[in-house]
Amino acid sequence: MSITLDFNGKNIAKSNELELHFLPAKIDGDGEANVDHYFNNYTREATEFGRGILTNALRGYPLMGEKLKVPEGYSGLVLQETEKPISNSSDRQLRLTGVFKDFTYWNYDKVPSNGDPYRQALFLADVAQALSQPISEDDLEAEIVRNKENNKESP
Amino acid sequence: MSDQEDIVVKKENKSIENIDESDEESDDMDLKDSLKISSLKTLGPFIASKENSRNTVYVSDVPEICKDKPCMLGVDEAGRGPVLGPMVYGISYCPLESKKALEDLGCADSKQLTEEKRDIIFNDINTKDYATSCIGWAVEIISPNTISTSMYRRSKCSLNEVSMDSAMGLIQQAIDAGVNIAEVYVDTVGPPEKYQEKLLKRFPSFKITVAKKADSTYPIVSAASICAKVTRDHALKVWKFPEGLVIKDNAFGSGYPGDPVTRRFLTEHIDLVFGFPRLVRFSWSTAENALADKAYDMEFDEPDSEKPKFAGTKLTKFFKGTTKSGEVIREECRFFKQRHLGSVMEF
Repeated sequence: MSITLDFNGKNIAKSNELELHFLPAKIDGDGEANVDHYFNNYTREATEFGRGILTNALRGYPLMGEKLKVPEGYSGLVLQETEKPISNSSDRQLRLTGVFKDFTYWNYDKVPSNGDPYRQALFLADVAQALSQPISEDDLEAEIVRNKENNKESP
Repeated sequence: MSDQEDIVVKKENKSIENIDESDEESDDMDLKDSLKISSLKTLGPFIASKENSRNTVYVSDVPEICKDKPCMLGVDEAGRGPVLGPMVYGISYCPLESKKALEDLGCADSKQLTEEKRDIIFNDINTKDYATSCIGWAVEIISPNTISTSMYRRSKCSLNEVSMDSAMGLIQQAIDAGVNIAEVYVDTVGPPEKYQEKLLKRFPSFKITVAKKADSTYPIVSAASICAKVTRDHALKVWKFPEGLVIKDNAFGSGYPGDPVTRRFLTEHIDLVFGFPRLVRFSWSTAENALADKAYDMEFDEPDSEKPKFAGTKLTKFFKGTTKSGEVIREECRFFKQRHLGSVMEF
């Protein structure tokens, strides 16, 4: 299986910036949504829960959220797949539909916190970096020296 | 508070500019009218000036005599059942000795009164000297948005709780405003005993009577009921849809699920993604059913399960580690599982 990302850096720079909401619900439908009138209209700040905390509701369900930035060094891309893959092993092609620098994250009736799967998932960025960053000879030797010293100190 | 001062300043400028314009029906109503309700005419503009996705409380001026003489206070609600629009809680109070004023106003069972009659009585309460000198009132408009979000919270908050909180909040407002309350009369739909107990706990020094149909028995409750009902009717009349819908004369019927006009409104104004405009109480089964039929399916995070499972690891788990062919099944690493991460490709 291969996945083709059908765009390059130039496309990204030219793409229009999107306004996104990360919702705690699965919506079984695809199409345009009147977000401004039915949703953005009702976003309110709720400082009693902390700085930058927002409230709104979706179909009567209370939401609490915050504006989040894409982590530094990363870009937010929205990709679209026009043809669903036939099987797990078939090739896939994804097209770029837009980019984003920030988005609004929403929880269902919970103040956003480090316990949220989204924030947890971002830890992967640090872990991935630690695992895949190239290590130079000098770094290795410095580490060996440090270890020896530590061993000396503890009897 | 600075907001309010701002408005006052604007108001003064405005009234100087168009001092002899008496076009009350125009949209740019004098801002003074939207801050105080001094007659039936000023009720609509006041409500229209508030955000209709939030609750609004209005407390009338307290007549001096009510701070002095022991008072009775009535509590009633309007618009509990409808699937559309706010629910309104109302209180009214007057000195025990001023019962005559209530009778002169014609306060009786508000459901027996016609809409016109209720409007007239509401207007009289706010304009006639014999009434304003001894009767005060307050209302809380509980927005349909608040009703939905309360009932759909992770830990559900029933309409009864919302109601009781509102009633107690209003009584507290009256106390804070300096009303010398002696007796409280409350109309209830549910069982009176529990309600009475809760009120007595919060306000132990008052003589509290909770009764079904108190509305028709105690004139002070019917006065509260009239304030609530007239406020609810006007809230619907001046409802402006932030969603941008325009409905001629705001004709969406009584809001009761049985009303054909309301039913038509509900079927004709479904948004595939967002469901309804927030005039609708999403938590009503009528609304839920309409959406289940016509809008996109939407599935939320499960509310926190109420029954925690204490069962430990099952013994049989240890025999399940391999497939039939003997391959070892490796459980996904917890780090990834908790973060809802999975691999897209096999390497």
